[in-house]
Amino acid sequence: MTGMRLWARITVYALVAVAVLIVAFPLLWMLAAALKTQSEIIDPNASLLPLHPQWGNIVTAWSTAPFGTFFANTAIFSVVTTVGQIATGMLAGYAFAMFDFPGKRTAFYLVMSGLMIPFTVVIVPVVQLLADVGWINSWPGLLVPNLASALGCFLFRQFFLSAPLELGEAARIDGASEWRIFWSVYRPLAQPMTAAFTVIAFLQNWNNFLFPLVVTNSEHLMMISQGLTVFQGQITGIAYNLLMAGSLIAVVPVLIVAMIAQRKVVEGLAIGAIR
Amino acid sequence: MLPVLGLTILFSIVPLVLVIQRSLYRGNVFGTNLTFAGLGNYTDVFRTGGGHSLIVTAVFTAGFVAVTMLLGFGIALLLDVRLPGLAQVRAFFVIPLVVPPVATAFIWYTFFQPGTGLFNRVLSGAGLPQVTLSNPTDAMIAVIAFGAWQYFGEIVLIYLAALKALPRDVLEAAAVDGAGAWQRLRHIRWPLLRHQTALLLVIATLFGLQSFTQIYVLTDGGPQGATQTALYYVYQEAFGLGAGGSTGLADAMSVILFAISLVVTITQLTLVSRSARAAA
Repeated sequence: MTGMRLWARITVYALVAVAVLIVAFPLLWMLAAALKTQSEIIDPNASLLPLHPQWGNIVTAWSTAPFGTFFANTAIFSVVTTVGQIATGMLAGYAFAMFDFPGKRTAFYLVMSGLMIPFTVVIVPVVQLLADVGWINSWPGLLVPNLASALGCFLFRQFFLSAPLELGEAARIDGASEWRIFWSVYRPLAQPMTAAFTVIAFLQNWNNFLFPLVVTNSEHLMMISQGLTVFQGQITGIAYNLLMAGSLIAVVPVLIVAMIAQRKVVEGLAIGAIR
Repeated sequence: MLPVLGLTILFSIVPLVLVIQRSLYRGNVFGTNLTFAGLGNYTDVFRTGGGHSLIVTAVFTAGFVAVTMLLGFGIALLLDVRLPGLAQVRAFFVIPLVVPPVATAFIWYTFFQPGTGLFNRVLSGAGLPQVTLSNPTDAMIAVIAFGAWQYFGEIVLIYLAALKALPRDVLEAAAVDGAGAWQRLRHIRWPLLRHQTALLLVIATLFGLQSFTQIYVLTDGGPQGATQTALYYVYQEAFGLGAGGSTGLADAMSVILFAISLVVTITQLTLVSRSARAAA
C-alpha cells in the first residue's frame, strides 16, 4: 500500500478533504452567519462571507439571555454528576471485581439491567417520582438521578478484574487497610481508565438536554442547551444571525476543551461505544 | 457499590416496573385517580397516531443507521490508508459528537430557511426546487441528515480502531498474491470486521431509537406528525401537550419502545456471539 500511485494518493486526499468539509461546513456557516448584518442575513443573494463582521452580534446575544447563569449551571451540573459517576462507578466496580459477598450475582445483574433500560423509556415515571418528593425545579432533582452510571460501574469492574491481585495481597501482608489498598494501590492503577471515562461522562452531562428539559422550567436552573431554546424564543424575526451567535457561544468553549483533550476524547468515545 | 445499586434500582428498575404497571391504568400526570384500563392504553396508542409514530421511528432509524454506517465506514477506510497527515485528521471527526447538539441543530435549522438558508441557496443556484421543514419528506430527510452528521464520527472512530487492529501480514500476503484493493476489502477486511459491524449496528440503532434533540429543534415532530418518532410521542403525551396529553398513552408507548430496544439489543448481541463463536 506504500507504493500507491500518484493519482490514487490524490484521490484519497481529495476524498478526505470532502470528509473534513462535511464536518466543517456547518460550523463555518455558523461563524459566518453569526457575524452577518441583519440585511445580509435576509438577502438570499448576499455574499456567503460576512463582509462587515458584526462582532457586536455576540455581545447582543450574550445580553439577550442569561448565558452566564446557563454556563454556571451547566458547569455545576456536569462537575457534580461526573464526580459522582466516577466515585460510585469506581467503588462499585472495585467491589464487584475484588470481593465476594452474599447476593453479589443478583446485585450485579440488577446494575447491568440498568444498562439495558434506556433513560428515555423510564422518563415519565422518573419525573413522577421526582414530583412525588417535590424535586421538580430543584438541584437535588437534577443531580441525584444522575449520580450513578451503570456503564461506569461495568467499565471499572472490567478494569479491576484484569488488575493483578498480588499487589493488593502484598499490601495486605504489610498491614494496609482495605481502604488504603483501594486508594493507594488500585485507584492509581485505574488512572487511564478514569481519565477516559471522565471525558465522555463530562461531555455527556454537559450536553444532556432531555433530562433537564423535563425536570426544570425555571430560568435560574437552566443549562446551556435548554437556555438556547429559550433564547431562540426571545429573538424574533427571520434574521438568524443572533441565533447563530448564541449557538457560537455554546459551541466554542466545548470545542476548545475538546481540542486540548483530543487524545482523551478519542479514547473515551472508543470505550464508551458499549453504552 | 450500594450507591450504584440503590440509584440503579431507584431510577431505572423501579421506574421500569412503574411504567409497565401504569401503562395499564388511565390517570393524570400525578398518578392520582387511576382507573384500571387493561390494555386500553395500548389500543388507544394505535387509535391516536401511535402506529404512525412507530412507522416514523422505523423510517428514521433505518435511514439514520444506513447513512451513519456508510459514511462512517467509508471515512474510516479512507483514514486507514497509510499516507502522511491522515492520522492527524482523525480527531477532527469527533467535533460533531462533542459540541452541544442543540447548538448544531440550530445550525441545521437555518440551512432550511426559505431563500436564505444554505441548502436553499445552493439549490436555487442549481435551479432546483427549494427544501423546507414544513414539507413532510424534506423534514424527515433533514432530521436524518442532521442526526447522521452529529453521530457518524463515533462510527469512524470505532471502525478505524478495528481496521488498525487487522493483521497486516494477511493483507500484505493477499496483496502479494495479486488481490486488488476491492478484493481485499470484500474477502478479507469486511469479513474480519463482522463483529464490529454487528456491534455498531446495535449502538447506532439504539441511538436512533432514542433520538430526541434533532426532532425537538428541527421539526417538533411535525409537519403533521411526519417526524414524530415513538420517543417524541412519549415526550409530547407526557410533557409537551400540557393538560391535553395522556400519561397512560405515554407509558404504553414507553413500554413498546422498551420492548423494541430490548429485541434489538438481544438479537444483535446474539448475532455477535454467534459470529464470534463461528470465527473461533
